[in-house]
Amino acid sequence: MSFEVLWRYAPALVGGFGVTVLCWSLGAVIGLTFGLAIALLGRLELAPLRWLLRACVETIRGTPFLVQLFLLYAGGPFIGLKLSATAAGILGLGAYSSAYFSEIFRAGFASVPEGQSEAAISVGMRPVDIFWRIRLPIALVATLPAIVNMLVILSKETVVLSIITVPELMYQMQTMAAETFTAFDAIFAMAIFYWLLVEAVSRLGRRLEARLTAFMSGEARPA
Amino acid sequence: MRPEIVLHSLGYLLQAAGVTIALSVAGIALGFAIGALVCAARLSPRQALARCGAFYVSFFRGVPLLVQLLFIYYFLAKYGLDVPALVAAIGGLGLSSGAYQAEILRGALNAVPAGQSEAAVALGFSGLDIWRRILMPQALRISTPPLINEFILLLKASSLVSVVGIAELTRVSMNIASMTYRPFEAYLAGGLIYLLINLCLAAFGLFAERRLATGRAS
Amino acid sequence: MSEMMIEIRGVCKSFGRLQVLRDVDLTVERSQVVCLIGPSGSGKSTLLRCVNFLETYDSGEILIGGKLIGYRDDPGGRRPMASGELRGMRREIGMVFQHFNLWPHMSALQNVAEPLLRVRGLTASAADERARAVLKRVGLADKAASYPGRLSGGQQQRVAIARALAMQPRLMLFDEPTSALDPELVGEVLEVMRSLAAEGMTMLIVTHEMGFAAHVADRIAFIDAGRIIEKGPPRQVFHESAEPRVRQFLQTYHDRNSF
Repeated sequence: MSFEVLWRYAPALVGGFGVTVLCWSLGAVIGLTFGLAIALLGRLELAPLRWLLRACVETIRGTPFLVQLFLLYAGGPFIGLKLSATAAGILGLGAYSSAYFSEIFRAGFASVPEGQSEAAISVGMRPVDIFWRIRLPIALVATLPAIVNMLVILSKETVVLSIITVPELMYQMQTMAAETFTAFDAIFAMAIFYWLLVEAVSRLGRRLEARLTAFMSGEARPA
Repeated sequence: MRPEIVLHSLGYLLQAAGVTIALSVAGIALGFAIGALVCAARLSPRQALARCGAFYVSFFRGVPLLVQLLFIYYFLAKYGLDVPALVAAIGGLGLSSGAYQAEILRGALNAVPAGQSEAAVALGFSGLDIWRRILMPQALRISTPPLINEFILLLKASSLVSVVGIAELTRVSMNIASMTYRPFEAYLAGGLIYLLINLCLAAFGLFAERRLATGRAS
Repeated sequence: MSEMMIEIRGVCKSFGRLQVLRDVDLTVERSQVVCLIGPSGSGKSTLLRCVNFLETYDSGEILIGGKLIGYRDDPGGRRPMASGELRGMRREIGMVFQHFNLWPHMSALQNVAEPLLRVRGLTASAADERARAVLKRVGLADKAASYPGRLSGGQQQRVAIARALAMQPRLMLFDEPTSALDPELVGEVLEVMRSLAAEGMTMLIVTHEMGFAAHVADRIAFIDAGRIIEKGPPRQVFHESAEPRVRQFLQTYHDRNSF
């Protein structure tokens, strides 16, 4: 594969990468929001609600992402949901990740030591303050590594979107490969690209975690 | 919604489910073999070997599975190697799973308390015996729940193999969808079968975890 | 006659089939220091936690400053106290835990100021001022900006005491405040507690520190298997007790602590 070919397709590839980032970030935002909502709703003492949420989460976690995408994109119109490929991709990523994020948040809340809440109770704090000021911040910090990990996994799942013709990077790469008969070189380049990307993001994530832990065991900035 | 259309194709779906399961079993077995080798490499005192192991894990966990599968497919096509699609698919799944299993095994070995080997050394055990009688049995026990989880993940990942035309569950769902013009029912059926298989696996995983825990002190 | 800060009358409590408190009677007068001692599993922590209703009790009464805590005794029967009312009572009771329970995501100053802001409703500057003053009181003025992760156990416990003290409670409960500390750090915490007692704070302390109890407590209560089997001034409990369990406990303590 010559540079000439790459140069010709550069705009399409860059555009494709833009779509990848768009789908990933929007999917992540939807996933984190709904994941947190599901985890919070699950804390209410309502058995039927918890059962329903549990069923939804287990269904999403128990089926392949590709099948969920097909269901949304190809099957959607039959239940009144007409989505473009990109919209289906974003929604699919959002729904898929929200199931995993909800579990991460649930575990995070469970990991808050009981003593932290007891100290707040014994001083007469209201339950709503105990939740927002004590339990939630501590839980969020505890879940950070798992959240970063899931975000990395989500970035890899974006390539599956190419199968339902979302014009992200993989799709553009395959179009280029088909038009220029450079399938192997193209896929090789993709492999290297994604490997470097995931490595870089993972390292960034680890540094963020280290910074936060240092913050919690260091000195606060003067008020 | 017209479920009867799908019921008509139930036979095909179940057959495809069998292919998916067989594919996954072969993939996880290959992955275990590769994982054990890579784990050994990572833990080796030889720097070059350790780095190769680390690179393998980093590469095969960093590159998306779909890219890996297509890479193998195009690689074989480019060099004219006439490998059946099924073998290529199993190879792809195995190579990918190997990276994750290597990390699971490494984690399990690290989780065996160091004091156990120390006690064995103090008692005069040989290195090989420490490995065979103390480390490996415990590492295998510790790694069983995450390995069962990895099997569930592999089963779901096998759906990507549909892009190279193998008649597993996702591919057959796609075929039914295009033949009957009822994609919603077709994919719903496929999804439910995946779900059923995974629920059974998850239940088995819980059972195995409980069984393994009873041998230890509370 | 001084005001009764804590009155525990006929309190019983069970965890399922296990009865942990059997008909417990204990009073703590204003400015008194009472130490609860006894073997592990005797129910002393449970009793303490009933006083601010962190644990419920099944029967009997616990009165704080003359008011029943946790329940309302209406003519129709006993009902749980309204949560707002309970919170109001808890505001006046300070509690110090064995494992400090400082909030890890807040600095020492923020830990002390948080209840002042959320519960006492102080303004930010008033809370800040009072928090700093109390931290100075426990000798940690220079650690105000430090996070719990950076503080030693003794320092963390002193911050925890400051957090409870800043609320200006009418009485303070201590649940084995030094049991989780390395021996060298115990002294600094006991010193703070000693000075609080000297200032007239009403204190109920569950502790294993017999030396502290002997010198600082006005009264000692010995609890065993959910029952208080000896109570009185330190001299009486430590040196003149006729109860075999008490003597046995103190003997074991002596054997293990003299060298």
